[in-house]
Amino acid sequence: MTILADSAVHAALPVTADRWRVEPRALMALPALTAMALIFLLPLGLLLAQSLWDANGFTLAGYARVLADPYYVKVIWDSLKLAFNVTLIALIIGYPAAFALARARGRTQVILFALVFLPLTVSIIVKTFGLMIMFRREGIVNWLLVTMGFVDRPIRLVFTELSLVVGMVNVFLPFMILPIFAVIRMLDPRLADAAACLGAGPIRTFWRVTLPLTMPGIVAGASIVFSIGVAAYVTPTLLIGERYMTMSQVMAKAFLNLRDFQLGATMASIMLMIALVIVFASSFLARGAKGGR
Amino acid sequence: MSVAAAARIEPQTASRAAGHVEIDRVSKRFGGATVLSELSIAVSQGEFVSLLGPSGCGKTTLLRIIAGLLAPDAGTVSIAGRDLTRVAAHKRNVGVVFQSYALFPHLTVAENVAFGLQARRVSRAETARRVTEALALVRMNEHASRGVASLSGGQQQRIAVARSIVVKPALLLLDEPLSALDRKLRETMQIELRRLLRDLGITSIFVTHDQDEALVMSDRIAVMNEGVIEQFATAGEIYGRPKSLFVLEFVGQSTRLHGRTTAANGGVVEVETALGRVRAPGAFRPGTSVVIAVRPEAMALGEGPESDYNNVRAVLSDVVYLGSRTQLLFQGDTPGNSIQVEVPRLPAGSGHPGAEVTVRWRIDDTLVFPIP
Repeated sequence: MTILADSAVHAALPVTADRWRVEPRALMALPALTAMALIFLLPLGLLLAQSLWDANGFTLAGYARVLADPYYVKVIWDSLKLAFNVTLIALIIGYPAAFALARARGRTQVILFALVFLPLTVSIIVKTFGLMIMFRREGIVNWLLVTMGFVDRPIRLVFTELSLVVGMVNVFLPFMILPIFAVIRMLDPRLADAAACLGAGPIRTFWRVTLPLTMPGIVAGASIVFSIGVAAYVTPTLLIGERYMTMSQVMAKAFLNLRDFQLGATMASIMLMIALVIVFASSFLARGAKGGR
Repeated sequence: MSVAAAARIEPQTASRAAGHVEIDRVSKRFGGATVLSELSIAVSQGEFVSLLGPSGCGKTTLLRIIAGLLAPDAGTVSIAGRDLTRVAAHKRNVGVVFQSYALFPHLTVAENVAFGLQARRVSRAETARRVTEALALVRMNEHASRGVASLSGGQQQRIAVARSIVVKPALLLLDEPLSALDRKLRETMQIELRRLLRDLGITSIFVTHDQDEALVMSDRIAVMNEGVIEQFATAGEIYGRPKSLFVLEFVGQSTRLHGRTTAANGGVVEVETALGRVRAPGAFRPGTSVVIAVRPEAMALGEGPESDYNNVRAVLSDVVYLGSRTQLLFQGDTPGNSIQVEVPRLPAGSGHPGAEVTVRWRIDDTLVFPIP
C-alpha cells in the first residue's frame, strides 16, 4: 500500500514530489500524538509529580520510604522475579511454537494461528477464572495428579507461586510468539540448507545461524512479556492475592484502600523506570544482534 | 546410459568403475506428480556437468536429492563408491551454491567463508589461512571484514562460491548461481567460474535452464525433461546430434519440416515434404511420419551437387540482421513455420523478400526424428 501511494504521489507530482513526500506523513501521526499526549503523557506527568511533591513542596520522602522498607523492596524484587520466570518459560515454550507456526502451510497454519491467537479474544479475567477452576482442589489438574498416582491426595495449587507463573505464561504466551513468528517468517529457509551443506549439524546450525538471526524477535517478545509481566495485576490478584504481592497490587492498594497517593505514585514511577530501562536495553540489544550486517 | 545399464547388473563393481558420482534410478513424487522417474546419471571425477532443462523438469529436485536436502522415494546416490542415500546433508561433504546465494546475513565475508571449516573443527590458524586463500581465488580478499549485505550481486556470488570450495567438497552443486546477475557480468562469471573449478579439479553439477550457459561451461550436458534425462553428452553432440525432438527444440535453433518417408537405401532415407523431396541419413520403413531438422548454420544459399546436398526452392520472407551474422527466413511447409538460414555475410543482391531462392544443406547435416 505504501508503495502504491508512493508511486501515485510521484506520478501526480513529478516535480514537487520530493518536497512533499515527508510532511503529509508526519502530519498523519498528529492525531495519535495528540491523543497520546492527552491521555497518557499528561496523567503520567501528574503521577510522577505526585510522587515527588507533597503539601510541603518537593520531596524524595516517598522513594526513601519505599526503598528503605524491606517489605516494598521485596515486592519490587518479587515482581521482577515473577516477570523474569514468566518471560523465560514463555520463551522456551513460545520459540518452538513460533517456528511451527512460521513453517506450517495451508490448513495447519490456520489452525495453529487460531490456537495461538484466539485466547487473546477472551478476557483476561475469564481466562484467569478458568485457570482457578482447573487448579482448585477438585479441579482437573489435581484429579489427573491423583489418578496418575503422582500424589496421594489433592494438593494446593491455587494461591501458589507455581500456579501464578503457569497462569501468567498462559495469558502472555501469544505476546512472545507473535514477534518471534514475524522474524522467523522473514528468515530464508535456504540458510539452514546452506549451513547443512557446509557440514553444520542441526545443533550448530541452530546456535550459529537460526538463533542469531531470530534474536531481534526474541528480544522484542521477551521485552514485551517482561514489561507486561512486571505490571501484571489481574492474574496475580486472582490467582495468588495477598500471598504474593506485586508492584501493581501494592499500587492498587495504595490508591484504593490506603488512600496513600504518594506510595501509589512512587510505586508507579518505579515501575515506569523499570519499563523504560527494558525498552532502551532491548532496542540496544536488537541493534547489537543486527550489528554484523 | 550404458553406465547405468552396467550398474543395474553389477551395482558394487560398476559404481566404482563407473564414476565419481553415481545416481542410480532415482525417483521422486510430490503428491500425485512424478518429478523424477528412475533417473540415472554418472559423473566422472573432476568433470563439469550441466543439468539443462525447462523449469519444472525436476533438475532442482535432483540437485536437492544429491545434496541430501531431500530424500528420494527410490534409487541411490553414491559418491566415490560410497552409498550416501541415507546420509544426512551435513555428513555428505557436498557443497551447494544456491540461486539466492544464501549467505549468512549476520556474518562478515570471512566468517561466511570460515563457516564450513569451523563446522569441520579445522584449527583456527588453518581456517584463517584457507579463508584467505579461498578469498584470493575469487579476488575478494580486500572485502574480508565487510558484511555480506553491502556486497553487489556478483560479489555475493563469489563469496558463495568461495564458501563452498574452501571445504574441498567431494562434489559441488550449483543451482542456477548466475541467473540473478545481469547479462554482461553473467558471461564474465561463466568463464571465470569454469576456469576456477577446472583448476581446482572439483567435480561439479550445474543446474541451469539457460542453454548458452550450459554450452559454454560444460564438459557434458544432461538435457532433462519431465523427470528423465533425454540425452547426456558433450555440448557438440547435444547440438549436432540431438537424440530427440525435445533436445533439438530445447537447445539451439533449427528448421523443421514435416514429412513422410518414401524410400530407404544404403543408410539414406528419402522424405517427401511440402517443399519437395529431401534425403537424410537414417533407416526408417517407408511411410513413416517424420520431422526433418537442420541447424541454421548448416544451410547455405545456392545449389549444391545432388550427390551430397539437399536443394530446396523457397521464397524469402524476411532478413534479420544479427550483427556477426545474418538470418534469412524462408516460407516453410506451413504458415508460421519458416526455414532459417544463417550466413556470415549476405551475398549482394540476394535479399529481396518475395524472391525464390535455392537453399542447400548437406545430406549428412539432416536430422530425422520419427513422430511417435
